[in-house]
Formats: sequence, C-alpha cells, structure tokens
Amino acid sequence: MSGVLRRCAFRLAGTRSLATTATDITPRLKTFKIYRWNPDKPAEKPRLQEYQVNLNDCGPMVLDALLKIKNEQDATLTFRRSCREGICGSCAMNIGGRNTLACLCKIEPDISKQTKIYPLPHMYIVKDLVPDLTNFYKQYKSIQPYLQRSKVPEDGKENLQSIADRKKLDGLYECILCACCSTSCPSYWWNQEEYLGPAVLMQAYRWLIDSRDEASKIRKEMLQNSMSLYRCHTIMNCTRTCPKGLNPGKAIAEIKKALATD
Amino acid sequence: MFSKNILRLSSARAFQTSSKRSLTIPFLSTLPQAPGGVKGTVNDAYKPPAPHKTHGSYHWDFERVVAIGMMPLVGTALASGNISTVGDSILASLLLAHVYVGFQSCIIDYIPKRVYGKNHNYAMYLLTLGSLFSAVGIYKLEAEEIGIIGAVKQLWNHKEEKKA
Repeated sequence: MSGVLRRCAFRLAGTRSLATTATDITPRLKTFKIYRWNPDKPAEKPRLQEYQVNLNDCGPMVLDALLKIKNEQDATLTFRRSCREGICGSCAMNIGGRNTLACLCKIEPDISKQTKIYPLPHMYIVKDLVPDLTNFYKQYKSIQPYLQRSKVPEDGKENLQSIADRKKLDGLYECILCACCSTSCPSYWWNQEEYLGPAVLMQAYRWLIDSRDEASKIRKEMLQNSMSLYRCHTIMNCTRTCPKGLNPGKAIAEIKKALATD
Repeated sequence: MFSKNILRLSSARAFQTSSKRSLTIPFLSTLPQAPGGVKGTVNDAYKPPAPHKTHGSYHWDFERVVAIGMMPLVGTALASGNISTVGDSILASLLLAHVYVGFQSCIIDYIPKRVYGKNHNYAMYLLTLGSLFSAVGIYKLEAEEIGIIGAVKQLWNHKEEKKA
C-alpha cells in the first residue's frame, strides 16, 4: 500500500515538474527520410535513413531540422550550409521532390506525411547530401563572368551606366549559383558535360546585355554550337524551381533571340 | 560453394555499380567517361565545341521558320479541307523537315557523340536514309496520288466506303 502511494506521489511530482516545461505538450514527431551514402563504404548502396524530429522544439525550416538531427541524433549526416538565409546557395537539395534551398523551405507541418530529402538530382555525390559541383563551376568559369573592356574611364573612377541599362540586369544579377535550376533540367541531366545549363546561361546573358561590357562578340561566338546553348528545349523546370524566383528560361530565350539575328 | 559465393558477390557488385548501365541504351557500345564528368583539372574552364553557325543559330532559325511556316498551312488545310497540290507539297516537305530536325535533336540528346562515339553517326545516317525514303514517298504521294491532305482525309472516308 505504502509502495503504491509512494509511486503515485512520485508520478504526481513528476507530472507537476514537467507541466511547467514545453515538453508537456504532446511532441509533434515529423519523420524525415534522408538520402545517405558513405564514400568510405562504396560497396554499400545508397539508402534512405529515417529520422524523427519534434517540431515543437525545432525551427520552421528544413535546414533547422537537418541541423537538429546532426546535433542530437546523427553527427555523421553530411550536408553543406552556411548563411541560413538564402543568400549563399550552399544548402541546395531536393526536398519533397523539388530542388530548393533547405534554409528557405518550410517544414510541411502535417506530421502524418514524411518528408524525403535527396541531394541535387543527377549529380555525382561526394557524400550524403553533398553533390560534386566541379563541372558546374568549370562551366561558370568558361563564360568569363567578369567585365571586359578595352578602355578604362578617363577620370579613373567608375564605368558609368544609364538607369535603364542598369535595370536590364535586375532579375539576373541576383542569382546565387545554387545549381537548383541546372540540376532540375532534364537536358542538363543527359548532357551536363557539354550543355551549360540554365544557371550558367543566365549569367552568360547577364554579361551579354551589360552595357559596360565590350566582349559580347566572343561571348556570343562561344555559344554557336549545338551543345552549349541549344540543348535547351524550353522545358522551363529551371524557372519553376528557382528558390530565388528568377527566370533562367527567359534569359536563355533572350540569348537565342540575340543569336538568331547575329 | 566458394565459387558460388564469389559469383553471387560479383553479380551483386555489378548490380550496385549499374547506375551507368541503367542510364545508357542497351546493346550500344559506349566510350569511357572521365570520372565525375570532369575533364582536366578543377581550375580549367569548360571548353565548348568549336563555333559553327550551321550547328548553332542557323540551325535554330531553320527549326523555327519550319515550325512557324507549317502553322498557316495546317490551319488552312484543317479549315478548308483542301489546298492546291503546290501547297500540299510545301506542307509535306515542311513536315518532313520538321520531323527531321526533331529526330536530330533527339539523337543529339540521347545518343550523344560524347558517350556513344560512332553510334551517334550511325543513328544520324539512319535518320538521313529514312528522310530520303520519305522524300521519295512524298514525291510519289504528290505526283501520282492524292497528296498528304488526301491521305489524312482517307482515314475518315474509309469507314463510309465499308458501310456502303
């Protein structure tokens, strides 16, 4: 009898102490299925690993959940992240079937549904959610993404540009090169060794229409082949997926238009 | 027993590394690819193919002109049900050009020279051969028979003939 009483008291005390903390609210356990592959064990097939995260003590974004998993459950989970506010482009990954930035993607609040997280599709994977972007950066380098002029301004200061000319760069210069658009493009999946892809082509256009740049002839000539530009079949997955709301599809169409009468 | 195990192991391993096989067309020989699709060092820029306007903008212009040129012809053919033999011939030729360019694009996409080497050329030859046959067929259809619009129309006429 006394034992039962003691146990009851214990339980009461227990519940009372918990009642003041947030954990008394029933935990909302959301299941995340995350792609895992370890280069140290290359013979093991990639797999989806399940993690449960209590949404009550987790930030609103998928990146918060990933960090929580890495801190509390599995330190071996590997992914890129840096700024956590959608300006660095490191945490690009495929969340729930859509390429986006984990830091800009809200966790779906419905806990009955699982969220699947994969690395960017059709890329060589370094580990877990980390794709190899070497080829992507080599392509970006090839379009010479810098101002090319024969003369510097006489006053030794800035290269001036009219307000209208500056406006042409809006919607292009904001690109953070996260590779979400390029890796969502089926044409880029098949021919990424030769097709430049929407992200790089949009930057090619950004330098092509810059009124201060004088290298547009070389820039256009570089694209005059069947692979670099013309593998774009206006599928428009790029524009649909862009986490920054830009329109690479339109930029590519503008390049084609500029080349058509070249 | 041991050899059986080895067999099973090797087949399992072959399956695990089959990602490339599942991405290529069976029975077509492929060329070896650079690891990670990266040629040269990581600091070298990508090298585009040599510039050639016939493969670039001229090709694209041709593609668009053909596609746009077909629109009024198909429109009038559908609306009136009959256009002159000349118009009919132009429509058939444009259609052939349109289909040729479309298949060419498919071959460049799915049987690229980078991966399939000579097989890419063979596919192109096959397409050219098929197009030549089609061109002869179009000539016969226009010169000796009812033309392409007549051929399409026959799809509906045929049933009536059977009923009667």
